Amino acid sequence: METRSFSDYLRGLDDAGLLALFQARPDLVSPVPPDIASLAVRACSAPSVARALDTLNQWHFQVLEAAAVLHEPFAEKNVVALTEKAANFVIPQLIERGLMYPSDDGLRLPNSLREVLGNEAAGLGPASMAKLSLKKIDEAPESAKKVLERLIWGPPRGSVGDIRDPGPGVAWLLKENFLVPLDQRTVILPREVGIHLRGGKVHAHRQVTPPVIEGLKRDVKNIELAAVANIATILRWADEALEFWAEEPADALRSGGLGVRDLKTIAGHMGIDESCAAFIAELVYLAGLITIDADDRILPTNYFDIWLTQNPSDRWLALAAPWLTTSRVSGLVGRAEAKNTAALGPELDRVNAASTRKLVLSLLSQNPGIEPEIKTFTSLVQWWAPSKRNPGLQEEMISWTLREAEWLGITGQGCISKYGREFLDGGEILAIDQDLPSPVDHILIQSDNTAIAPGPLVHDVASVLAIIGDIESRGGATVYRFSEKTIRRGLDHGKTGDEILVFLRKTSKTPVPQPLEYLITDVAKKHGQLRVGNTSSFVRCEDPALITQIANDKRLEMLGMRRIAPEVMVCDMDAHDVMNVLRNAGYLPSVESKNGLMLTGQRSNRAKSKARLPRIIGEVEVPTDLTLAAALRSIRVGEKSSRKQSTLRNISQSALGALPRTTANETLDLLSKYIQEQKSLSIGYADNNGSVSHRIIDPVKVSAGSLIARDHGTGEMQTFRIPRITGVAPL
Amino acid sequence: MTDGPLIVQSDKTLLLDIDHPMSTECRRAIAPFAELERSPEHIHTYRLTNLGLWNARAAGHDAELVIDTLIKYSRYAVPHSILVDVAETMSRYGRLRLEANPIHGLILVTTDTAVLEEVIRAKKIAPLLGARIDAETIVVHPSQRGAIKQSLLRLGWPAEDFAGYVDGQAHEIELKQTDWKIRPYQELAAEGFWHGGSGVVVLPCGAGKTIVGAAAMAHAKATTLILVTNTVAARQWREELLKRTTLNEDEIGEYSGAKKEIRPVTIATYQVMTKKKNGVYAHLDLFDTHDWGLIIYDEVHLLPAPIFRFTADIQSRRRLGLTATLVREDGMEGEVFSLIGPKRYDVPWKEIEAQGYIAPAQCIEVRVNLTEAERLAYATAEPEERYRYCATTKTKRTVVEELVAHHANEQILVIGQYITQLDELSEVLGVPVIKGDTPVKEREILFNKFRTGEITCLVVSKVANFSIDLPDATIAIQVSGAFGSRQEEAQRLGRILRPKSDGRSATFYSVVSRDTIDQDFAQNRQRFLAEQGYSYRIIDADDVFQGKL
Repeated sequence: METRSFSDYLRGLDDAGLLALFQARPDLVSPVPPDIASLAVRACSAPSVARALDTLNQWHFQVLEAAAVLHEPFAEKNVVALTEKAANFVIPQLIERGLMYPSDDGLRLPNSLREVLGNEAAGLGPASMAKLSLKKIDEAPESAKKVLERLIWGPPRGSVGDIRDPGPGVAWLLKENFLVPLDQRTVILPREVGIHLRGGKVHAHRQVTPPVIEGLKRDVKNIELAAVANIATILRWADEALEFWAEEPADALRSGGLGVRDLKTIAGHMGIDESCAAFIAELVYLAGLITIDADDRILPTNYFDIWLTQNPSDRWLALAAPWLTTSRVSGLVGRAEAKNTAALGPELDRVNAASTRKLVLSLLSQNPGIEPEIKTFTSLVQWWAPSKRNPGLQEEMISWTLREAEWLGITGQGCISKYGREFLDGGEILAIDQDLPSPVDHILIQSDNTAIAPGPLVHDVASVLAIIGDIESRGGATVYRFSEKTIRRGLDHGKTGDEILVFLRKTSKTPVPQPLEYLITDVAKKHGQLRVGNTSSFVRCEDPALITQIANDKRLEMLGMRRIAPEVMVCDMDAHDVMNVLRNAGYLPSVESKNGLMLTGQRSNRAKSKARLPRIIGEVEVPTDLTLAAALRSIRVGEKSSRKQSTLRNISQSALGALPRTTANETLDLLSKYIQEQKSLSIGYADNNGSVSHRIIDPVKVSAGSLIARDHGTGEMQTFRIPRITGVAPL
Repeated sequence: MTDGPLIVQSDKTLLLDIDHPMSTECRRAIAPFAELERSPEHIHTYRLTNLGLWNARAAGHDAELVIDTLIKYSRYAVPHSILVDVAETMSRYGRLRLEANPIHGLILVTTDTAVLEEVIRAKKIAPLLGARIDAETIVVHPSQRGAIKQSLLRLGWPAEDFAGYVDGQAHEIELKQTDWKIRPYQELAAEGFWHGGSGVVVLPCGAGKTIVGAAAMAHAKATTLILVTNTVAARQWREELLKRTTLNEDEIGEYSGAKKEIRPVTIATYQVMTKKKNGVYAHLDLFDTHDWGLIIYDEVHLLPAPIFRFTADIQSRRRLGLTATLVREDGMEGEVFSLIGPKRYDVPWKEIEAQGYIAPAQCIEVRVNLTEAERLAYATAEPEERYRYCATTKTKRTVVEELVAHHANEQILVIGQYITQLDELSEVLGVPVIKGDTPVKEREILFNKFRTGEITCLVVSKVANFSIDLPDATIAIQVSGAFGSRQEEAQRLGRILRPKSDGRSATFYSVVSRDTIDQDFAQNRQRFLAEQGYSYRIIDADDVFQGKL
């Protein structure tokens, strides 16, 4: 069987070859394509090719770019000539990934690859139409050389004032065909000239090996110490942020995120900067510890209560694990050019976020004990994953990942910590439980009305102190300050003055200073002299006797009224209903005024709905061998049956002389094959009303779901929508 | 994790557990770069500030040392961000230097041209600069030495000042330690100042700041200008200098409202320096009349604004600031540091007390109730009148009477804010009163009588807040004050902190009206002392009447 098209090549592959392809490009089997033709179409589709390109390192990429410069078919030695000898090792890997394939007459590229690489791959223009004598370039006048110099490394386009009246240098180059006019004002440097000027190579620097990492050497002991500090801090931050939102739930933006003002509030409350606050908000969101409730309030979930009771290691893992795999990028929050990107909002997903993160971390763990210098480290990451789509964002993502890994304690002093290593290996990180400072259950109260917890507090004590004191300083220890305001807050939350005193006496290792005792009893004495409550309606009468009568009226018991003063009763039912009941009982009430209700929230709120974890985009799960084998079987079976079907169809077609009929995948496959061969085709094309007409066409190219072809009937170039093509057959 | 005495917090405060065996050692190690913020009974709070770190750099400590110290004494792992921040902050110091150049005069030199480019573009800096000499050097107008240092500090690029100090006109001054001995902390303070060149020394009231000044003069051996708060203080300085140094009467001049003497050592009052004649400060020339080798600012926390401005212009002279309470309710502490110089020495009050150099003191807040009529008057008073209403309640008078009777054998000061209240008290108690309009002469006579024991009780207004040396006063009763001023409370306590000959402890009563803003102000006033480890006891007025003290 001859091998020209990509699908032919795939058909010719053995099971091992197909499995390797699936392994390298798991998106090809999700979902499993019905047959080889559809597999080929998918593998050649621009999104899939772009994904495959993302898995290449810089050297792979350069080899591929060099290959894209060549005319097809080409030989391995052509590629080597344009790059380095080492390309020999890379080409089989590119073939394995289906980014290059051998045909009968040499190597070829899948047809959408050039499109994905861009029109001017490696900054080289199109091939020259005219014959060039490249030796003449050396004789070029100075002015021409200057022009060339600017175009050598791309972009190959240059603009001139007016093509009819160029400068002497450009004129010479145009005459010699070393420049080709594109339009009135643009010229382009043909590919051959570019390569010649580049010394026969495609790239200035052929990066065969990754750059070497540079940075400061760090002491192992200090790394681990710093990492423990980071882990302790991140757990504390998460805890504090959640407690804060439990007390004062933030309102979600209409678009579903945490507003700038709320972000500032939480950052101010915790004494951290906003980017860090955004990170923590995202972290607890990903862990399912908060959610946006049905009433658009941002609240901790029930899982928060469970999380609080867990060991530090589990708590940490609950935060770190989702971070590793998420496609959400909290670093985007609050950047100058994207003011509206909110934490917890819908706009934070970025393709490649997780893969960049994993790559950064794995490079860190390959270079233990070195705090990488950011510039060389970025170039190292970019060698492994040369992001062509959004290099600026990738650079930022690298620095954000380093920053976030430090916040999480995956690194300490910029170097991978032992916790980070275990975490990346997927092991249990029990060491955290032993290495974190053990919690203390006491405080030291001083005469300046401060209390100091000389270590992380056990949760019960911390939560009471958080109510009756303001935190003044955070870190390994916590400093609380008591004031009238904070004591009142404690009383508001249902503690009595005595309870607070007993708690402090029990928890403090030092005697409670007398002024503090006075403060507490003073505030407690005054607290609650004024009473405020909620009620729906009231019944008021100048005559206390009538109120007494109402209070004792059996028929009104259903109203559940309370007498709060001799002349006033309140009722939790609506004023309207109360009026009706009173009227039915023979009283003559009238409406006095209508007031709205003032609702005060409870202290510690929980969401009513379940956590909705954000989805992960852009990442394809790596399939297991089992699923791959199953996929392979399914394709093979599908292939057999579709071949049978098409044979049957062909027989029936030739018997009936009807229009060609092919399945959509076959159509695409055939089209790409015949575009290469430049053959005329017979197609069936459906119009708006569904009637199918027969056209004879010369296909030119397939792009964006349409076929561009010359219609023999009209003699014009025309666009055919591929879904409307009912079938394709060669003439 | 070690078991050190220090906890490094993520907000750059350092908590020092003083009950820990290593606490003294640790205190010494962190003192050069961390500023003491609070020193109550158990845990002292220090803070890492940019200024503190730069001062440490100036004194020859590098970031490595600071970081090592933090890690060595820290109980828990030190947050990485703090270490990075310390290194980063300290590396900013010294990129710019002020130097004296024989040709161009004062110049600003950099080792990092990018920094120089940044600062010369700053709006506040550009007008202070002269011609650019080369990429790394630029001329500074000599008179702007203070201003440029201040502005650079605000920009975060502090300049290291190599331009040096003028020596001033030499004048032989020695300490005369015949019947007394300079205390170790006084010597340390004077030396710390001398090595730093300029700066502020913070010592508790009654701990002998004058001696530090004298010791500094003995280091400088040059003509000295001393600025003090009032005439009485000026005379006290003069006597003290005569007693403690080799200076004789003719060498010390007084420059005040009464006399205008200029001598090798001149003592001037803030008041006369800031007095305006036809809209100009007539006496500020005093700074220039003499080639002073040293300028001492007593009670530097009271430094008035015109002197601030003038001080910026005399950056080439050595400056020493002395204070007990560097808290200004106007938040100008930073200005003091940048103009006079950084804090060179600071020590917790309780530590000096433990060494026996100041008297131990107990602080008692006496709570009185307003009468029913007063309560009503208070409740309906205009906001600006309310404090006066509750601070001058009649009940306070009877309580003071009772307290004075209780301490009949001791030297008592009754201190207050409102003149009418003081006059009433003076009448009821039958003792003299000293207030703003009392002539200096009469004040001196009264203070002398009090010192000799001829009078045992004095009623004084805020004129006696500072600098008045009354060694044997053991009881102070405060009836009202300047609202919530923390430093006033501390200064008033300071009046009774001189160590007593019989080792008695002092008692400070603050009489406060219950459930009024008097009580709120009292709480704020007490903060400074509470942070120094003085703990207040609260008693009820009834306890006083029943003799339960």
